Amino acid sequence: MAPADFRPCDHWSHRGVSKMAVLSVLRAAAALVARRPFHKLQPLAGNSLLKAFPAAPKVAVRHGSHGKQMFVIKSSQYYDTRFLRLLTFYTLLTGIPVTVFITFVNIFIGEAELAEIPEDYVPEHWEYHKHPITRWIAKYLYDPPEKGYEKMMALISIEEEKADLRLKQLEVRRLMRERGDGAWYQYETLDKNLIDNSHKSNPDY
Amino acid sequence: MPEDWDKDVYRQPDSRTPEVDKKTGLPNPAVIVSKLFYYTVDLPVTTFRDWVERQREKNKFYYYHRHFRRVPDLTECTLGDFLCYYEAEMQWRRDYKVDQEIMKILQERLRACQQREGHSYVQNCAKELEQFKQGAKGYQSRYGDLGAYASSRKCLMKQKHRMIEEKEREQAASEA
Repeated sequence: MAPADFRPCDHWSHRGVSKMAVLSVLRAAAALVARRPFHKLQPLAGNSLLKAFPAAPKVAVRHGSHGKQMFVIKSSQYYDTRFLRLLTFYTLLTGIPVTVFITFVNIFIGEAELAEIPEDYVPEHWEYHKHPITRWIAKYLYDPPEKGYEKMMALISIEEEKADLRLKQLEVRRLMRERGDGAWYQYETLDKNLIDNSHKSNPDY
Repeated sequence: MPEDWDKDVYRQPDSRTPEVDKKTGLPNPAVIVSKLFYYTVDLPVTTFRDWVERQREKNKFYYYHRHFRRVPDLTECTLGDFLCYYEAEMQWRRDYKVDQEIMKILQERLRACQQREGHSYVQNCAKELEQFKQGAKGYQSRYGDLGAYASSRKCLMKQKHRMIEEKEREQAASEA
């Protein structure tokens, strides 16, 4: 019990904690320590302050296991395990949803069956594929192969016309230059009426 | 192998089930093992497969094989008609792929025949072997040694050289 003439300190009273409560807790802890079993406090033995625990005499110890526990010095496995842990995590983060999705598609939707093309029916370009995911990709992401074929043919026809016109241009140039009766190779000459012919008609004598 | 293979081409050997003539009263261990296999592996797998088939029955859809129209050959194109060249080239490439698949099927048939007959394949597989030989000879004379950058034009030139050699051989044979 705290003495009767005890005055609480200022720096504790304003925090709402009374020193009496703390001291009583400490005393209860000391009483509990004194009542603890004997062998658990053996490290404290031999201490002159704690006269409650006299030091016990040393006894030869025989273990039932493989002898003294050694501190084996080996390199750290922390980084290796961390790497493998992170590797599995990031692989499975997208791997598991993708696997589950593909499994569900294969089980519940399944692959297409082969059939003859019905009369008067032109199948769409994605209906030529078997697996549903391939069909979806062909339907929404890819262009039909006919489009690629037609694009190539368009390029070839453009280049063919260009080559044709270039050859024609060379031939036309040659002929116009040779014959001189075309639109090209016409050179501007002086107007006939500007020529002064007066001195040409009278000989110089 | 799909379930509906051509039964005449890939023939199964005739099954000969012997008559059971049990003389002992002991249980047959082969029967025990086969029943064990049936109940632990076969039955669960079959029921799962049937369940999956029932799920797939609900939304059925079909796929088709492409049909390509025949276009004029490289020999039927006028000179300088590059569009005709392109279409003929594409058709030749498709035919090349088809011929490769035909060769694969002939090889597969020969392999299946040999596996089926065992040691008596020498006399029993003569038909498949003949088919494969004919196919290989034709394939080699048409597409062999064209290389990775094969085109219909190179194939046509190869055919031209083949015909020239044949004509020379004929001439040499008629002169001699």
